[in-house]
Amino acid sequence: MPSLLDYLERAVTGPILTQKDFHMKVLIPNIRKIVKEFDIKYDPKDPVPSDDALADRLYEASIEFLSMTGLYCADTNRIIQFDRKEIEKGLEDYREAGTFGEGRDRSVLRPRKPGDKNPPFCHIGTGTVATSEEIAMAQVEGYASIPQANSISIPALSSVRGIPVVGGSPLELYAVFNSIEAARKALWRAGRPGLPILNLCSAATSATGTIAGCYPTVGLRPSDGWLIDFIAEMTVDFNNLNKLTFVTYIGANVGSTDLVILGGYAGGAPGTALVMTTYHIAGCVLMKGAYHLTGPIDMNLGCSSTRAGTWVLSVVGRATSQNTRYCAIALPYAVGGPCTKMYFYEAAVSQLAAVTSGYAGIQVSHPAKAVVNDGVTPTECLFNAGVAHGIAQSGMTADRASELCNRLLEKYEEDIKNPPPGTEGKTYPELYDLKTHKRSEEYDRLYDDVLEELTRMGLPFK
Amino acid sequence: MDKKEVLENLATAVIEGNKDMARENAQNALTAGIDPLEAVDQGLSKGMGVVGAQFESGDSFLPELLMAADTFSAAMEIIEPAIEARKQQVHKEGTVLLATVKGDLHNIGKNIVGTVMETSGFEVVDIGIDQSTLSIIEAADKNKVEIIALSSLMSTTMPNQKELIEVLKEMGIRDRYFVLVGGGPVSQKWADDIGADGYGDTAIDAVNISRSLLNARSDP
Repeated sequence: MPSLLDYLERAVTGPILTQKDFHMKVLIPNIRKIVKEFDIKYDPKDPVPSDDALADRLYEASIEFLSMTGLYCADTNRIIQFDRKEIEKGLEDYREAGTFGEGRDRSVLRPRKPGDKNPPFCHIGTGTVATSEEIAMAQVEGYASIPQANSISIPALSSVRGIPVVGGSPLELYAVFNSIEAARKALWRAGRPGLPILNLCSAATSATGTIAGCYPTVGLRPSDGWLIDFIAEMTVDFNNLNKLTFVTYIGANVGSTDLVILGGYAGGAPGTALVMTTYHIAGCVLMKGAYHLTGPIDMNLGCSSTRAGTWVLSVVGRATSQNTRYCAIALPYAVGGPCTKMYFYEAAVSQLAAVTSGYAGIQVSHPAKAVVNDGVTPTECLFNAGVAHGIAQSGMTADRASELCNRLLEKYEEDIKNPPPGTEGKTYPELYDLKTHKRSEEYDRLYDDVLEELTRMGLPFK
Repeated sequence: MDKKEVLENLATAVIEGNKDMARENAQNALTAGIDPLEAVDQGLSKGMGVVGAQFESGDSFLPELLMAADTFSAAMEIIEPAIEARKQQVHKEGTVLLATVKGDLHNIGKNIVGTVMETSGFEVVDIGIDQSTLSIIEAADKNKVEIIALSSLMSTTMPNQKELIEVLKEMGIRDRYFVLVGGGPVSQKWADDIGADGYGDTAIDAVNISRSLLNARSDP
């Protein structure tokens, strides 16, 4: 099987073509051909399909698609090609999933199957939401206090000592150092110093930032998890390949990651599912990852909680969990923000889809499309973890999940397209006391109400 | 083949993304003596309008839009020399400079905006990712654009959108350009706070806002 170095060589020697030609002559025609050939069809009435044959076709289609298309390297304008046999061997050679964290807080990410009663690995937090320096530590402490937390996603600091962080500048390095330092302190305070940080490093946009963060005294550990992006549909770049080369060399846990744009180059739901499954395979074969963090995001609505987005999340989870041991963590986005009922409906839909479709892990659904500064609190995290454990332990089937999702989607589907005022919810400082870090009475009431409503509908919660 | 049929075929070719049909009917239009600008406006652009509306309503996706644009271009290779020979000009909505700001290496959102703007009749100058404030301003000046559209996918690169507006002010040329901002973490509030002229949540928003800004400027 080719090594990482062999694939890097292909990035500088593979067939050359412009990005436009890659899109028009390779990517789009291949997606259309494969979707048709393997009969990948979207059924909006069944947002969490239990069709094993469809899932297996999707998986097979993705291997074929990767061998036909390859990955485009944006820096060299060349295609990294994959041979079908290499792909199959790469998947076969995958070692067991990563072990994350230290001491009593150490966790193993284990593969799950659709309908598995074992709870998913809970990745708590939403690293892409920009957070103030004053709040970051309290947020992480809140996340680590959630008993089901297996790992933490630490916040991206928006400023350092009041100076706005500029990506790619030395300020980015300050943000990396400060965010890790704050997170480690918060984990100590919560009494869970060994919890792994799995989103390394959201403050680091550049390979320089990632590598700088790995200096031993900064506080990162090989038992944490490093995210390496596919930057656009079937495309990689040197920035991410540089990160990958470094993280592979130090023997740390690589997390391949993507956020496929539903309605973008991949087209509608079937094409998006095809590309998302292909990223999972490429993450295992090219990046030799310990885990894969993945989700679809609607091009116009900025969320995963649409009917089509839920179908994509489900069918990809079933396809990958049935056919490979490479562990995926579902990464959803919601339109509703903290302290809105809509957020909890959307998060419930995403976790119903993820847990019953066999994802090994779940991440907290990102509130308010992850665009509101300080727009996430420990309460949303608590909800996602509780729902994920509840669904798994109840042994819920995909059919039952689909029925519940249909009822929940009716509650918010129209509001996603035309969000009413206040949909973005409130921020941490508006919902938590900044001295005691206790939740406001307003949020207590809404949370109790929505939990009661969802439990009455049949959503299990632990 | 009569004029109506040729124009309808041109529109259909664009809607279906059928390049052979588009080339054949572009040639038919010239042979039949149809005004080349009419072939563009009443044929190709009409088809593009249908695909654009389907895209806006979510009934079709980016690949359909790209195929339509590619088909449009294939027909234009035949029609354009006839337009130039008559010293006519295809109507352009305006010229837009697209860039992802310094420190940000994401290009998918910007590329989608560029495609949708181009297919909506704008001339697009895309200078790519990781662009410094001064290189954006230099490119805007060189290409005589009316709109600068800035993409940023990370909260840590958003301050560079603000910087561009401040530097335009320092240079005394803020009024020369409309500045639009967009990208994952960008919001209307951010656009208002930094004094941008517009914010687009989607690629279609970018088209609509650009049109309304340019129309408002040309109104007396």
